Amino acid sequence: MAELLMTIVGGIKIGAIYALAAIGLVVIHKATKTVNFAHGGLVMLGAFATYEMVVVFEWPYWMAYIAVPVLIGALGALLEFVVLKPLRRADLFTVIIGTIFLGTALSEAYRLAENSELLAVPALFTGPPLLIDVGSDVVIFTREQIWVTLGALAVGTAGVAIFRYSSLGRSMRAMASNSRGAQLCGYSVEGVYGIAWFLGSALAGLAGVFAAPSKGVSPDLAVSIVASAFVAAVIGGFDSLGGAIVGGLLLGCVETLSAAYVSSSLSMAISYFLLFCVLLVRPEGLFPEAKRRHV
Amino acid sequence: MSGTRVFGLLALPIGLPALFILAGCLADDYWRYVLCLTVSAVVVGAGLTMLVSFARCITLATGAFQALGAYGAVLLMINLSLPFPLAVVAGGCAGALGGLFLAVPAVRFRSHNLAMVTLVFQSIVIIALRELKGLTGGAEGLSVPAATILGVAIRSDLANLVMACVFSALILIPLMILLQGPFGRNLRALAVNEVGARAFGIRIEHYLIAAFVISSAAIAMAAAIVAPRLRIIDPDSFGLYSSILTLAYPIVGGLGSVWGGAVGGAVLRILPEVLRPIAGYIELILSTVVLLTMLCFRGGLSEMVSRLWPARSEPARSSRGSDAVVVSALPHLVQPHDHSAVEALVTDKLVKRYDALTAVDGVNLKVRAGALHGIMGPNGAGKTTLFNTVSGFIRPDAGQIRLFGTDVTSDRIEQRIGLGVTRTFQNLAIFPSLSCRQNVIIGFGRNSIGAALGRSAGWALNTKTSREEAERADWALDAVGLAHVMDLPAGKLSLGDQRRLEIARAVVSQPRLILLDEPVSGVSQQEVEQLLVLLKAINRDLGATMLVVEHNIGFLVSLCDTLSVMASGRIIAEGVPAEVVARRDVLRTYFGETDEAA
Amino acid sequence: MIVVKPGHRLRALIVAGSVWFGAAAAQAQSPGVTATEITIGALGPLTGATSFMGVPGRDGMQLAVDEINQAGGINGRKLKLDFEHAFTPAESVAAAKKLVEDDNVFVLVLASGSTGAAAAADYVREKGVPTYNLYGATPIIRTPFAENVFHGAMPSATDSAQALVDRVFQANPKAKKVGLLVGTYAFPQANKGAVLPLLQKKPVDVVVEEFDQGARDFTSQLLAFTREKVDAVIVMGSFSEAGFAIKQAPEKGLTNVVWVLDGSAVNDAVVPILGDKNPPNVWGYSNTPYFPAQSVAATSKFRELWTHRYGQPPQGRPNIYDLVAYGDTYVLAAAIKNAGNDLSWKTLIASWSKLKDVKPSDLGGLDVVYPESFTETDHQGNRLMGRATIKDGIWQVVPN
Repeated sequence: MAELLMTIVGGIKIGAIYALAAIGLVVIHKATKTVNFAHGGLVMLGAFATYEMVVVFEWPYWMAYIAVPVLIGALGALLEFVVLKPLRRADLFTVIIGTIFLGTALSEAYRLAENSELLAVPALFTGPPLLIDVGSDVVIFTREQIWVTLGALAVGTAGVAIFRYSSLGRSMRAMASNSRGAQLCGYSVEGVYGIAWFLGSALAGLAGVFAAPSKGVSPDLAVSIVASAFVAAVIGGFDSLGGAIVGGLLLGCVETLSAAYVSSSLSMAISYFLLFCVLLVRPEGLFPEAKRRHV
Repeated sequence: MSGTRVFGLLALPIGLPALFILAGCLADDYWRYVLCLTVSAVVVGAGLTMLVSFARCITLATGAFQALGAYGAVLLMINLSLPFPLAVVAGGCAGALGGLFLAVPAVRFRSHNLAMVTLVFQSIVIIALRELKGLTGGAEGLSVPAATILGVAIRSDLANLVMACVFSALILIPLMILLQGPFGRNLRALAVNEVGARAFGIRIEHYLIAAFVISSAAIAMAAAIVAPRLRIIDPDSFGLYSSILTLAYPIVGGLGSVWGGAVGGAVLRILPEVLRPIAGYIELILSTVVLLTMLCFRGGLSEMVSRLWPARSEPARSSRGSDAVVVSALPHLVQPHDHSAVEALVTDKLVKRYDALTAVDGVNLKVRAGALHGIMGPNGAGKTTLFNTVSGFIRPDAGQIRLFGTDVTSDRIEQRIGLGVTRTFQNLAIFPSLSCRQNVIIGFGRNSIGAALGRSAGWALNTKTSREEAERADWALDAVGLAHVMDLPAGKLSLGDQRRLEIARAVVSQPRLILLDEPVSGVSQQEVEQLLVLLKAINRDLGATMLVVEHNIGFLVSLCDTLSVMASGRIIAEGVPAEVVARRDVLRTYFGETDEAA
Repeated sequence: MIVVKPGHRLRALIVAGSVWFGAAAAQAQSPGVTATEITIGALGPLTGATSFMGVPGRDGMQLAVDEINQAGGINGRKLKLDFEHAFTPAESVAAAKKLVEDDNVFVLVLASGSTGAAAAADYVREKGVPTYNLYGATPIIRTPFAENVFHGAMPSATDSAQALVDRVFQANPKAKKVGLLVGTYAFPQANKGAVLPLLQKKPVDVVVEEFDQGARDFTSQLLAFTREKVDAVIVMGSFSEAGFAIKQAPEKGLTNVVWVLDGSAVNDAVVPILGDKNPPNVWGYSNTPYFPAQSVAATSKFRELWTHRYGQPPQGRPNIYDLVAYGDTYVLAAAIKNAGNDLSWKTLIASWSKLKDVKPSDLGGLDVVYPESFTETDHQGNRLMGRATIKDGIWQVVPN
């Protein structure tokens, strides 16, 4: 029992990070119809920026939580402007290939610049773990687990709220559903695309801050995060922010549960198989956005 | 034409391997080894041209298919002592099976979902190879014995290079035929315009599955060919990174070109060898090259090179004096349809609803064979919905549609052309990257997978049927006044000429019924008159029945024999055009609501 | 349309042609040896998962080559290092062929992991080029015995597996249950294959859990170990994987176990991950008498040398692969020196097979590897392995 609980708690923690990364992906897709395979690169750079601030410059940790999202958000908006703007008129095919190679370019550039296999980042909370008695067993929670889970989910929810209820979010949704119409209503394409990329990349940066202590900083972080974030987003319906959160948590739990109760060497295969089943049975994801009326 | 076709077909499959062998004879073992791997990359690239460039499917599973081919072949060599050539073929079959297994569920997805499904396939194949330790040797890899052909072991680098080149040529020849022939053209057509492709009998899923299977087989065989030279194959070598790297082949080589993938494969396989002094930077250089290609040189290497080459004298652009639009001097090939008493089109109480709105509300329409029948009506009257149910693009909620006596209510769009029914599109559904002649040839509608594969072979052999197709396409283009732009890509034509092209495509199969969706919208007045003459001539000389939906009442009145007027989903008037448009109720319904009558 | 190819053809022909003539000219004397210079070829992964071997391999060798050249070279000839990147088996074969066929190196050094070395094995055997295998533990490069292939500071997989098992029982002689935490990728799997039979000979139960390359979360594996109440865990993977596993263990209820890390995980970069400068009961083995960060005269000087040449090192560098590459380059230099002026593959192999207790300091280098000896039938230079643990934030070799 305690073991099952601890497995799930562990799964939820990594799932929360996946969810945060997935939300950024969905925000960008919802607003700009760009499928951003370079998202993992942004998460990785977020983690790297955390390392630089916390370990190298020895700034207090909270500053990383503020400065990193701004920094990565700005970088994302810049990348959109420089690399993806010329592809705006191209079809999805071209854009996807573009972001795939943009992602590899980001992680390769990082690898060449830093030339180190792994940078370790200390955790924000390092106190003794909390013990909770469950029957005869003891369930162990670490402070970091609680912080990452709750913090990432809170940020994710805030991101959802911004998109759903603020005027900023409205402009992005308008642009996505009808870009001509939105322009006629006075929204500028440049502005909305810039803001969407800033917001989505800022969420990626935050995912990096949350992930840094438990994952370290390494070039392959980019690929591993982007794959998981995509799986989470696709499970959730790709256009649903709430779905991305549920998808992330689900994926995290499936990964750890299958490793625990099926086979630790097959857990990847199992979570991919889950994705495959979801796509087969519900191609629109578990939480599809309200279907557009077909006329 | 035949000379250039044979050259175009064989230059790459025979020329490039021959060149590699020649270079290999002059070079040392290192370069022989590199060329051996390069010729394999060329085949992989050609396979990806089909899937990525032509079908526009993003695949992240290339590594998995290479692994299936290499492991499949090697395991059969080791366990069943299969001779190498058979093992390569078996490896190809393993790849084809894998491709089929992936494609059947995958082809209903496009864009990122397709990319994800291929990523899933890639990961699961690699994990399976890793975990089936007893069979595959697991993560540590599998030692590959030397290839044996007719009992002779192929050991030296030169022998391996020659063998790889010969096998590659054998794979590339059919691949090039499929890419350049009708199959490849149909694939390109459906990738840019699914609607247009389906109207002419191209079943999208069938084609995509075929593209997956064929390209996977080629990719798998490419890996099987070089497996003995690698000495060890391990799952890592075929990982996601290799899939991403190979995805760059067709892009850097040029997405628009038949040669793109092959050229990209050759260049990108040799580039890291040339750049060995800066090996650490190679991945960054590669991704930058791909990004730059996409941003600045969309046509890739093949277009850059072909620009250097003195341009073949391009036929004159669209600006022509093609007033001669009469379907004159119909060739012997064409025989007008004989109209017995059959009705060409009958709809019986046809209903189509969208939520609360009933767009088509119990329509009974009869079009006599041989007639020129028009449908008019204000915006929102349901004309387009009716048209789309007749053409098969929308399935009615109730009622029946009969074409020449056959009930087609629940038939697929792709089956319409088999009944001799073709259509044009209001928003134009031409295939811009194909030449006008190729556009028209698709109009024959012999586009089921089997037929397309057969026709590709016929095209390569330049059979009589294949020649006749081209001849008749030329006739159709001539008939609509586009003879002078036959070899020009359709995308370069003016709007009016693209409408003519659609008509040529619609008539080339000698259809019994042509459905015309707003044929003169956006066309200049002068061209409207030309089209009028053209359509009348087609109706007269080919005996083709026509159903025309149009806003331009003047055009309809001069064109049609009979006219139906629709309003609010119903037919409110029917009869001889001049009488119908004069009726008061028609005038009220029509002009009371809009004033867009011409 | 043929246009696509002329440029490409031309280049291939030029390359091919120049290579042909170049090769013909060089065959006149012993390959890679001129009156003033000896070319050493080496290959290893500069990128990818095993770059923690290849990059130090290149850097360590270059340090030794520079030092030897500064001291006047070998018998009047300077050494030149030609290092090629090779990660996958295909790349390793390509790199080996390029070095031997194209660049005409005199000796080939394999600074790659097991799969790279295994892929190149057939080729170097056929070719007969004197080959120094620095890191490859795989049996494929060792058996069948080849007279031109030598192995340096790193022992075979069986020997290092024995060392791992020994470390478990040195730390806890009463261990009854041993957990194996193994990466699903190539070299951990190879080492698992060597460790399992040794453990099965002991009166212990074994619990195997696996993880994917780059794993950072070991919840399920550690919970399994907790449930099974293992006394010790042997980790086969990289330092980052081992580090995160050890760090998470107490969170999953796994306390008071002996951790034994495979050679590839014995790296100072594990310490910042653990966040503890003196983690209890973390053990490993060492192929060198000292670890790079230990404050002993030899390693202090080595770090100085390294920093002087390459600047401030990143986390975890120089690592043990730097030391081995540096030290073994001196061993190779000694073999070349003893072969005399008349250098050929034959004379080199002969002199190499007679080396006895050769140390870097024989040629003025730093003794950062154990002395190595070879005979005509035994080409394993070193079999010594120290006992290693983390003290004061660094790995240290401690007395057995």
